[in-house]
Amino acid sequence: MTKWITIAKHEFAYNVRRKEFLIMTFGLPLFMFALIGFPVLLAGGGGTDKFTIGYVDNTGSFNSTNFTRYSTEELAKTDLLGGKITHFFIIPADYISTGKIEIFSKRSRTQGTIESEIKGFLLDNLLKGDNKDIMARVKNPISSEYFTLNDKGESGKDDLSGLLISLAFAFFFMLSIFTSSNFLLQGVVEEKENRVIEMLLSSVSHRELLTGKVFGLGAVGLTQVLIWQVIGIAILSSGPVASLLKGINISIPLLVFASGYFILGFLVFACIMAGVGAVATTSREGQQIAGIFTVIGAMPLMISQLIISKPDSIISIIFSYFPLTSPITMIMRISTGTVQYYEVVLSLLILAFSVIVIIEMSVKIFRASLLMYGKKPTIPELIKYVR
Amino acid sequence: MEKTVEVSNVIKSFNGQTVVNDISFDVAPGEIFGLIGPNGAGKTTIIRMLLDIIRPDSGEIKILGSGRPEETKDMIGYLPEERGLYRRLTVMDSLLYLGALKNHQSRERVLELLERMEMQQHKDKKLSELSKGMQQKIQLIAAICHDPHLIILDEPFSGLDPVNMKLVKEIILELGKEGKTILISTHMMDQVERMCSRIFMMHRGKGVLYGSMSEIKSRFGKNTVFLEFEGELKNMPGVKKSNLSGNYAELILEDRADTQDVLKAIARDVRVSRFEVSSPSLNEIFIKVVEE
Repeated sequence: MTKWITIAKHEFAYNVRRKEFLIMTFGLPLFMFALIGFPVLLAGGGGTDKFTIGYVDNTGSFNSTNFTRYSTEELAKTDLLGGKITHFFIIPADYISTGKIEIFSKRSRTQGTIESEIKGFLLDNLLKGDNKDIMARVKNPISSEYFTLNDKGESGKDDLSGLLISLAFAFFFMLSIFTSSNFLLQGVVEEKENRVIEMLLSSVSHRELLTGKVFGLGAVGLTQVLIWQVIGIAILSSGPVASLLKGINISIPLLVFASGYFILGFLVFACIMAGVGAVATTSREGQQIAGIFTVIGAMPLMISQLIISKPDSIISIIFSYFPLTSPITMIMRISTGTVQYYEVVLSLLILAFSVIVIIEMSVKIFRASLLMYGKKPTIPELIKYVR
Repeated sequence: MEKTVEVSNVIKSFNGQTVVNDISFDVAPGEIFGLIGPNGAGKTTIIRMLLDIIRPDSGEIKILGSGRPEETKDMIGYLPEERGLYRRLTVMDSLLYLGALKNHQSRERVLELLERMEMQQHKDKKLSELSKGMQQKIQLIAAICHDPHLIILDEPFSGLDPVNMKLVKEIILELGKEGKTILISTHMMDQVERMCSRIFMMHRGKGVLYGSMSEIKSRFGKNTVFLEFEGELKNMPGVKKSNLSGNYAELILEDRADTQDVLKAIARDVRVSRFEVSSPSLNEIFIKVVEE
């Protein structure tokens, strides 16, 4: 039976050509860029100004190659007002005991970079007698690496990669569910509203229609998220965050598990959304019902601190097996490195099994409630359909 | 010969209300069959069960000798009562997609049918740009473009103007001549009276009449007079009941009444331009059956 593929292809082609899809896909990043990028660009423009710094040394022991030395405060003030220098500072005679430095500029707020330049200058002079290595070390005294010991006493290098990956996974996963559930709800409700559903069901079975919709509309949502991601990475890798991304090392098993959890978890939500679409009479109503499931899906994120710090607590373990929460929870736990392989396999199996069960349930609800135009089935009725 | 449609003892209820109550009938290959009855009689529910859109609570349905709907769906063409097509797709794209879902996508046949329906100049328009009548015609093409064996038409004449009504009737008769089996469901009984060879009449979920048109008509006897006249009808001895509409009347005669006496009596009051002794119309038969 390949009819569901025909439906999936049709749904995909029909929806990605829609104006709403194109506006949302390309308009949102543009809007976000305008919202965040524009002020940064404006501020960045001001930051390119060169500082010329002068100083007045009342201790008589500070020398600089970069800064202009003035013998009196008055001379420095004249040059600052005349625009020859942008800042000057005074080292009082009792500096060594007080650490007090007075910084003058024409603009009211002094940027942090000024202070760090002055700090470098002060350290250079204070440590004049010591060798260059010690001087460098004093300026940057700690470069940290963390290690954790497991039960067997083996040490594993800690880095932020795991945490970052699990947060990125959670973000990407939730985003995909949010966008795709919209498409799925609309796709099913719209078909009911324009009454094409009866034509379709005279040609294909309920299961084929639902499967086609889940895959076709799910692909639409994923395409949108993927485009956003590509745009996001393009912007990030050109910006200051690029160095942060370089530090991440992704282990192959984590990547494999993440893909598995992503696909199965996504299918669970997509099938639920299609089922909700079948029950709902309008897409607004559908979104309200769907919201309940999405909130449950986001719960591991809300208690992420607990899952990461206590990955073996009862809540963490329940969340690891419950199909709506297991993808994010398990990736978080895997990234902390405290999870046994059999747990991963078991939770993946539960997830896969629940996909099948949810499809079957959705098909039954779909069959029972699709043609009840304008009437929402009650909860007892739903329970009857599923049986 | 194997029946095209076989419905045996089918029952379906919604929320405790029995909508289809122990219905059995069958449709022979190549016949034009009428499923008739007033609105709410349960016709559409039966059709949805024929197409496996909903399932009966009990009873059995066989289409083309098979009880497995996935085997037969491709061979059925369906015009639903609730018309609906993708409003934002073009005529051609919609029809090709619906054809593909029947595993029978044929651009040639779609173009041929568009021409037959005088719609070929609209093939690249979006459905939302077409008038209601045009959309109806597209929907009919969608029902037959995959060359089905069995064609199920639910209220095919609703919302059509007289010209398109005639066109649709012609097409139905042509399809019948090609040997297709056609099941027409309608509450407009007079529309199918001359098209169908056999009918199944329903009322409140129950079957009330079943058989060939000629057999049913003869069962109810030649006790009806179709009358066209000028003037005012007053005294009509021997007439049990009369349905008047302007200068036209359908008279139901008493059992022993003599048609010649009736004519003489009427002719005293009005000018008669038509006096036809006939069997009662399906409408009249329906009312009679229900009253009994």
